[in-house]
Amino acid sequence: MEQSIKKLFKQAVYHPESRLSGDIWRIVCEREKRASLISSWIYGTIGVVSFAIFIPVVNSLMVQFSQSGFYQYLSLAFSDLGSISMYWQEFMSSLAEAIPTTSLIFALLLLFIFLVSLKRAFVNFKSPLLSI
Amino acid sequence: MDISDEDLIKKYLNGNQESLKQIIERYTPILYNFAVRFVGIDNTPDILQDVFIKVWKNIYKFDVSRAHFKTWVFTITRNTITDYLRKKKMVVFSSLDKGEEYFSDNIKDESILPDEAMSKLEDKEFLNKILLEIPEKYREVLILYYQEEMTFAQIGQILNKPMNTVKSYHYRAMLLLKKIALHQN
Repeated sequence: MEQSIKKLFKQAVYHPESRLSGDIWRIVCEREKRASLISSWIYGTIGVVSFAIFIPVVNSLMVQFSQSGFYQYLSLAFSDLGSISMYWQEFMSSLAEAIPTTSLIFALLLLFIFLVSLKRAFVNFKSPLLSI
Repeated sequence: MDISDEDLIKKYLNGNQESLKQIIERYTPILYNFAVRFVGIDNTPDILQDVFIKVWKNIYKFDVSRAHFKTWVFTITRNTITDYLRKKKMVVFSSLDKGEEYFSDNIKDESILPDEAMSKLEDKEFLNKILLEIPEKYREVLILYYQEEMTFAQIGQILNKPMNTVKSYHYRAMLLLKKIALHQN
């Protein structure tokens, strides 16, 4: 009986127009394309902004490196290797203290955001569906 | 041999965009037949469009270990139909869910539809017309069980109901089908 009922129901199936799945696929592609372009723009903007902030931050970082005496400590490593090898622990701690840590972390963070945004923007722009 | 839904999803997630196209081609007729019975022929293409956009957006969240793709996609379809009917302020599936009773698990179909009703239901126009007269919550069980050949457990997942409730719905649906078939010419 159950098989007979199934057979009856199978005969009463509604069929869509043949082009419906193609139309839906096209709409999905358009949505994908639009979403990819929006993502590209968002990531591109984030990339540009982070790069724009990165330049003055790097300039400021360079100034801080020179003001803290980091370069002088570093040049000592090449000019007076004997003293350095004797007092290498003091030298290393002085060198480490001369690093402007906060600015360096901030600059690296901006560089990371810039690179990730660039990658995401590029990947979204080259989304495979864009070519379909 | 046809590639399984789960393999198509894996391929899509690995970057093969054509797999999504295959999924859409495979499921459009099935979902069309389901949706058309609740929203009508004119609205079904829009419903299916929404369904497949939701599938595309959420396919990354689909967990093969938790559900079959067919169950998942039917759940999305049902929810989309419910939202549509709610917006249109028409009767929704859940509004009829009060006062549920469980029938025995061992009800046999043989006792439900007599030959007279069966012969009337051989007319597919008549069957489709009768199905429209059956409440939505019973109609969807009949469609999923007899046309999509889903199990009561799978239907329960889609409807978010216990299996016994689904069996109860099925039994009541069959009683209604018989009653309407025998009283209509």
